[in-house]
Amino acid sequence: MGCKIAGNEYYLPDRIIDNDELSKSFGDLDSKKIEKKTGIQQRHIVSDDETSLDMAFMAGEKLLERYDRNGIDFLIVCTETPDYYFPPNSCILQEKLGLKSSIGTFDLNIGCSGYIYGLAVAKGLINTGAAERVLFITSETYSKLMHPKDRVNRTIFGDAAAATIIEKDEKEHIQEFVFGTDGSGAGNLIVPNGGLRNRYDPHAPEVESSEGSFTTQNNLYMNGPEVFNFMISAVPKLFNDTLEKNGTTLDKIEFVVFHQANKYMLDYVRSKINIPKSKFYNNLLKTGNTVSSTIPIALKDCMDKGLLVPGDRVLLAGFGVGLSWAGTIIQL
Amino acid sequence: MEKDKFLQLLRETLEIENEELAEDTNLSALDEFDSLAVLNLIAFIDEHFQMRLTENQLKSISTVKSLMKVIGSERFT
Repeated sequence: MGCKIAGNEYYLPDRIIDNDELSKSFGDLDSKKIEKKTGIQQRHIVSDDETSLDMAFMAGEKLLERYDRNGIDFLIVCTETPDYYFPPNSCILQEKLGLKSSIGTFDLNIGCSGYIYGLAVAKGLINTGAAERVLFITSETYSKLMHPKDRVNRTIFGDAAAATIIEKDEKEHIQEFVFGTDGSGAGNLIVPNGGLRNRYDPHAPEVESSEGSFTTQNNLYMNGPEVFNFMISAVPKLFNDTLEKNGTTLDKIEFVVFHQANKYMLDYVRSKINIPKSKFYNNLLKTGNTVSSTIPIALKDCMDKGLLVPGDRVLLAGFGVGLSWAGTIIQL
Repeated sequence: MEKDKFLQLLRETLEIENEELAEDTNLSALDEFDSLAVLNLIAFIDEHFQMRLTENQLKSISTVKSLMKVIGSERFT
């Protein structure tokens, strides 16, 4: 016995910020240059009154249109931008989505590696008999954490939610996992204030984080060079370890989907590992980096475009905030 | 690596169009040396010298010569 991904859907907020708009708000940014360098043309951003819970609901509803919601017996929500300290988004979502009350729910607080973590937990729940059909939703609103004058991160990140159903199957479609964590890099991708160690400071001073880009301790901070160094060292190893743990090789895998961090970084890591372009997916153009939703959005787009068909084996790898990384191989 | 070759590759890496690079060129003062150019530089150094530039090393870079010193002056001919 095993489990499989039965279906997935995603939701993007209505508001779109394209490169022309960014370029206007920052004066000296060239919109064509932004696209060339980041591989991003536009990103979707939530409105002031829309939250990760609202997006999770929209993605969940979209998917549940074609599934019996009474068959869902576990709900996991992956978010670092929940509506409240507590209760978790997942509990509130149980009621909003009209799921039965005899289900387990909890939130998973992790970033770019979150989709792989969710698959691992869902697989564990199903294979131990604790659940048969898990609804797993990723939803993140980094836009609410970025300083308005943070030109670097505002070009990269977009908001989105994705919903996936993982269910029991006669065959195992979700294979072995590799995980990694390095807390020494925690400060390289962080929102320093607003938790209980450093409370939100309404008077936090604006500081220049890189050329012409400003932030405060209340906002998202990313040390781009150190995050890139982390990717260069962790991702090739993660890729090889994931193949090895599954006793397979790249030629037996139809496709590779990495977390969509930044086109430049991905292209470099892809060429460093020698993954052929034909097997490698890149879909930052219309959505940017949507954190834990990039992998399910890519999977859905690949399926819709016919790039992936049932039976294909896909290597998935997520890496980022934590620092944290994880990989697995799924068979569609 | 030969110094001339390094200067040529570095110019391509940083996408500098209007001027030649010399050892005393101040990289940090160039318009092209933005946050994305720094990523290009990290990839370039990893690819050709198998080393990763730390944040402190990146901050210490001013001229091309200072970058060559970080990489290791003995690695250039």
